[in-house]
Amino acid sequence: MKYLVQSMIKTIPVLLLITLIVFLLIRVTGDPVSLMLPETATEEERDSLRESMGLNEPLPIQYFSYLGDLVTGDFGDSFRYNTDALSLVLERLPATFELAIASMIVAIIISVPLGILSAVKRNSFFDLFITGGAVLGKAMPNFWLGIMLILFLSVTFQIFPVSGRGTLGHLVLPAITLGTGIAAEMTRLIRSSMLEILEQDFIRTARSKGLRESIIVNKHAFRNALIPVVTIMALQTATLVGGTLITETVFAWPGLGQLLVQSVNLRDMAVVQAATFIIAIFVILSNLLADLIYRFLDPRIKYE
Amino acid sequence: MKKQLWLLLLVLTLIIAGCSGGETNSTEGEEPVETSDSKTLVIANGTDIVTFDIHDHNTTSTEAVHVNMFNYLVTNQGEEGFQADLAESWENIDDTTWSFKLKEGVTFHNGEELTADDVKFTLERVAKDDTLLEHGNYNQIEAVNVISDYEFEIVTANPEPALLNRLSRLGSAILPQEYIETEGWEVFLENPVGTGPYKFMDWQRDDRLTLEANTEYFGDAPKWEELVFRSIPEDSTRVSELLTGGVDVAVNIPPTDVARINETEGVTTVQSPTQRVMMLVLRTDDDSVTGDPLVREAIDLAIDKQAMVDSLLEGAGTVTRTRVTPGNVGANEDLYGESLYDPERARELLAEAGYPDGFELTLTGPNGRYLKDRETVELIAAMLSEVGITVNQELIEWSAFNQRYQERDFAEMFYIGYGNSMFDASLALDRLTIENAEGETDYDNQQVNDLLLAAEQNMDEEERAQQYQEAQEIIAEDRPQIYMFQLDAITGINERLEFEPLLNEMFYADSITLK
Repeated sequence: MKYLVQSMIKTIPVLLLITLIVFLLIRVTGDPVSLMLPETATEEERDSLRESMGLNEPLPIQYFSYLGDLVTGDFGDSFRYNTDALSLVLERLPATFELAIASMIVAIIISVPLGILSAVKRNSFFDLFITGGAVLGKAMPNFWLGIMLILFLSVTFQIFPVSGRGTLGHLVLPAITLGTGIAAEMTRLIRSSMLEILEQDFIRTARSKGLRESIIVNKHAFRNALIPVVTIMALQTATLVGGTLITETVFAWPGLGQLLVQSVNLRDMAVVQAATFIIAIFVILSNLLADLIYRFLDPRIKYE
Repeated sequence: MKKQLWLLLLVLTLIIAGCSGGETNSTEGEEPVETSDSKTLVIANGTDIVTFDIHDHNTTSTEAVHVNMFNYLVTNQGEEGFQADLAESWENIDDTTWSFKLKEGVTFHNGEELTADDVKFTLERVAKDDTLLEHGNYNQIEAVNVISDYEFEIVTANPEPALLNRLSRLGSAILPQEYIETEGWEVFLENPVGTGPYKFMDWQRDDRLTLEANTEYFGDAPKWEELVFRSIPEDSTRVSELLTGGVDVAVNIPPTDVARINETEGVTTVQSPTQRVMMLVLRTDDDSVTGDPLVREAIDLAIDKQAMVDSLLEGAGTVTRTRVTPGNVGANEDLYGESLYDPERARELLAEAGYPDGFELTLTGPNGRYLKDRETVELIAAMLSEVGITVNQELIEWSAFNQRYQERDFAEMFYIGYGNSMFDASLALDRLTIENAEGETDYDNQQVNDLLLAAEQNMDEEERAQQYQEAQEIIAEDRPQIYMFQLDAITGINERLEFEPLLNEMFYADSITLK
């Protein structure tokens, strides 16, 4: 409990730093007014818009007034949608969660059997094939994989719908796109973790007792190999978020990633700030969760 | 062990196949049928609409959706003039007063009847509130005086020959006063109400907006039962949706995908001009090398615009020597569809101007703002180097470019594209008056200045158009701006549909019909 409270307190400076970095970055990369008004707008029109958006104030004053509002849960209004930024972000979370969970399931379905097989059949053709495939899976850019999946499975064979959110079918291609990279990472991890465990004394003891190999692999080795894997899964949140930016745009998936990409393009400051803040909280929480899971799986670990 | 693993893999494969198999049937059965049989029209846009506040956006793609829910007083039919929409008739009483009569019996989607009070409420809001994005296009309106329930007058601060152009574009729809005043703007923005042929059903941001037919519509009965506007930002995904029948109409097709779509059975593309004209803007002051008219002419002659349209745009554009293209009031059609290219003569002109060995200049352009902008600037630089002009290319990101554009901080030349939502020459040429050109082109031609200022407030339509046409001829010779080409919009459509794109890029659903 004490550890939990301490961790929570530690997140405050991290969050503050994130607000500052995002606040400055979005302001130095361009003026939203220039993106909102057409080329033909007059100087007066630009000035009056800048004024009404509060962009005429000096940066430190803007930042502190932003922080002040933040404390009360007010992230400001979206320039683009003219509505509360936080509610825009929260409205998108379910879609992104849906995609993230589906991608994780895809990653687990692919990586667990392949990782085990690869370790058990070490240095065999299977192993070579699987580790090679993992490198390929990791190297493929999301947008390319997404577009290729659409071309083959939607356009040529018409198995899945191309884009949008609705039925379970709509979820398959984006989940595979986003899950493949994570699956590749996890496959390699499960393999190396399994290899390490299979070398250990208690496995040798189990073998010498004459236990069946399947029991050794599934019961003794895999459970122990799972500890680092589960931790890594929780740490994949940041990768998942990064992936949703591209995957959601390619598949017109109405989630947080797409909202963030469009808001960055239009310098919709309030939305970018709200979205990155919420994402930061999730990443921090999932790291904390990883610590706790670690402890749960391996009672020898104690946090003081 | 081996058996178990294989069994596990087999089961997993079956699960995956099972999942997708089920969906396969549902999607194959549902999606294409839904759009080919039913009276639902699905249009894929590159971006979602931004708001239902018609006065607080300036996005053509948003307005293209709004026109199905709201009505203007009059609509601009280009060369055929203005047509009645909510207004039954109108008259220009004196230089600053216009009187209008509304159609009777028009109702909003909530049952309220449209009256002159709604018009006053709507137009005075945008004319007076300077925080609204469309304010600059309506602040010429001084007041709307209600005469009776169906009659009103619009009073402008100065003579405003282009008033009807203003009233037939983005932000001109009429809103329900009572509904907004009693329920508040927030309720209106969640549940927008207009007079149009389709009414609001549902909006999932960045996903889809659904409208349904308004059976009480005052005009011809709506042709579709339901309209779905989908937001699909990625070009290749939008094209794929069109190819698989997921959508009926897909906007902004990249030129490189046109051939692929046209080769696919059941879908095709239509190409149509837009209001955007790409151009080089040149400094004409004596301190700049481009201050010499011979140099500007040489630059014009050295650039093969038709080759750019053919190669970079794959034909999706039209060369022009004026910014006021057909369909706009005051267009000079003699200058449209042609361009000058004569590199030999360009070299001679440079020698005549005292630069037989060429010279150096800087060309600034935005990167990623317009279709193929970077490539165009690079090609211009290459073509100019052929006649001896060394070009320092400065390609910068749009907001940085725009910052310098506002500060009028460019060197000899910059590359830009202007749209024109007014469909009138006044907006197209207003940067070329002596006052407005200061610091940008420093273009200083008294005759052009007089023509533009006179036309700006001339209430005689014919004479006004002639003044603009004459000004364009002089500008084409003086070249403070060298026009490259007018961009085309490419729209992909399902072949079951009949569709003719409009110059203003609006999607009136009822103009899209089944064959």
